[in-house]
Amino acid sequence: MKSVDCIGLYCPEPVFRTRKAIEEARVGEIIEVLADDPAAESDIPVLVKKLGQELVGFEKDDDGILKFTIRVVKEVR
Amino acid sequence: MAKIVYVQTSGTDTPERLYVPFILAMTAKAMGDEAIIYFVVKGVTVVKRGNAEKIKIGQFPTLKEVMDQAVQSGVEMMVCDRSSELLGIDSGEIVEGVKVVGAATLNQLVLEADAALYF
Repeated sequence: MKSVDCIGLYCPEPVFRTRKAIEEARVGEIIEVLADDPAAESDIPVLVKKLGQELVGFEKDDDGILKFTIRVVKEVR
Repeated sequence: MAKIVYVQTSGTDTPERLYVPFILAMTAKAMGDEAIIYFVVKGVTVVKRGNAEKIKIGQFPTLKEVMDQAVQSGVEMMVCDRSSELLGIDSGEIVEGVKVVGAATLNQLVLEADAALYF
């Protein structure tokens, strides 16, 4: 599984990096995104939906670490 | 049901610009529409804890009272995370119930809304 580490990065960087990972992925691939920017909790799902991908998992731990699991269901160029 | 986004860029240094979005948003809810207020740039000072209590103009109630009424009526409030930092406001100082969001969320809100008004 491809992992995108956005820990310590602020808006809009997690969005940029997640988009890039989606662009580089093959259809069917699963991408994990880690972030600690509070804005990412809202922004990453918005991006995933906008790009027509599937958010298959979201977790938030006590330290505010966010983990998104995204399934790439279509190609993005 | 329509969706209206109110973008508040003004802050506590211009109190006369702060009441209107809350009043319009509450009115939208009363008319069966969705209403979201997004605080960005100086607007984040409005949702810094303790600030709205200090704002009162003429015969109007305090801004805090109006904000509370808006929340009770179902108005959603969102704040731009990076604007808070820009103005030296810690995320822990933001009024409870305000959702911390980022750039992608605001763009999408405006695209999906039927109207966006800026204050």
